Amino acid sequence: MTEKHDHTHETNAGSSEIRTAALEDLLVEKGLVDRSRIDSLVERFEHDLGPMIGARLVAKAWLESDFQSRLVSDADEVLRQENIRGGEIEHVEVKVNEPGIHNVVVCTLCSCYPWALLGLPPAWYKSPEYRARVVREPRKVLEEMGLSLEPDTEIRVWDSSSETRFLVLPEQPAGSEDLGMEDLAALVTRDSMIGVAKALSP
Amino acid sequence: MNQKRKVHDLGGALGWGRIPYDPQEEPFHEEWERRVFGMIFQVLPHTAVRPGEFRYALERLAENDYFAPDGYYGRWRSAMEVLLEEYGHFETGELDSRLAVPSGTGAGYRVQSPTAVNEKDLPPDSPTPIPEHRTVRRELDRAPSFQIGDRVVAPGNTAGGHTRLPEYVQGAPGVVVKIHPAEVLPDSTAHGLGERPQHVVSVAYQARDLWGDEAEEKVVINVDLYENYLQLEAEAQ
Repeated sequence: MTEKHDHTHETNAGSSEIRTAALEDLLVEKGLVDRSRIDSLVERFEHDLGPMIGARLVAKAWLESDFQSRLVSDADEVLRQENIRGGEIEHVEVKVNEPGIHNVVVCTLCSCYPWALLGLPPAWYKSPEYRARVVREPRKVLEEMGLSLEPDTEIRVWDSSSETRFLVLPEQPAGSEDLGMEDLAALVTRDSMIGVAKALSP
Repeated sequence: MNQKRKVHDLGGALGWGRIPYDPQEEPFHEEWERRVFGMIFQVLPHTAVRPGEFRYALERLAENDYFAPDGYYGRWRSAMEVLLEEYGHFETGELDSRLAVPSGTGAGYRVQSPTAVNEKDLPPDSPTPIPEHRTVRRELDRAPSFQIGDRVVAPGNTAGGHTRLPEYVQGAPGVVVKIHPAEVLPDSTAHGLGERPQHVVSVAYQARDLWGDEAEEKVVINVDLYENYLQLEAEAQ
């Protein structure tokens, strides 16, 4: 088993900024990389993709039970119909939280994540702490992250070890019954769709 | 468990502390992380084009490089440097000399070479139509080897290279709960040994079967496994 790690050693070759800039220069000189394509790619991932895409699906599922059923039984088909495309959603499964059942997603082997639904993952999702611990002691981990579950709630952890990607459908918060699509989507946080938080209360 | 835990195979590893959790966290913290992210998509078509190959480069990094303080994107940069050298786009140490740092600073000096996987340790390949668009999914004309409800066990990866079988489920009994679409087998593709597509099944493990008496109550861990990893529990030795 792996034990304590030394997190204090020096990083490679001075600062990350300097090494990355030198790598980029070298790649451009060799004709392997085009700087403007770096800019456009980052722009797309930072601004066009993000948890708002998943949040709209969740809000629609709360509003329309038929949509929810289809999303759970065949998310791939729903994503096609909704024209949602992009990276890391070759096969998607939606896991529904309900009273007594709570779902949470991890990738213990790397950091697999449904980019086209949630954008790029936060650092904590990719951290060795989360990857190591959430499969061994999920109740304690969620508690630490601010989510206390009832002791009789079953926790289902989904380890993204193949190309299947998971989206958690959080429970609809009390008091949101009369809200429309946009207001509902605003309650659906990224972390509620990973399963480490509940949706916000209105 | 006889062999040393692989650096990336973190599920259940002991000794890790609090999650560095920030609910408001943005995907990038520093500008250089954006540059690494943007570069990788242009570098991979010249290097790790096969499914699993980039992940395998990350897994071959030395522990200090894998867990370097510059985190996920630092790890990506290190793996990118390794691949650029292995594919001959960079001379060994070329980036170090450009930076005028001591030769041997880059991750390429500490990386493990790819394991020579023996095809006999992989399931047989079967010619399968390759879809027009780029995908790891394949249509198989054979039925899955397992059915929902089967009790199964994954004895362990004997090929010794890249695999998507986490160590923490090896040897433990689980139940098949879902059949996913078939995919090419990363244990093979990462090593350039063909697609060997497999059905993929979702296996549910009771926490107690993984962690024994230390397990939390009412916890199920679901892991997606390529069917060649699995045996029926009744037939496992």
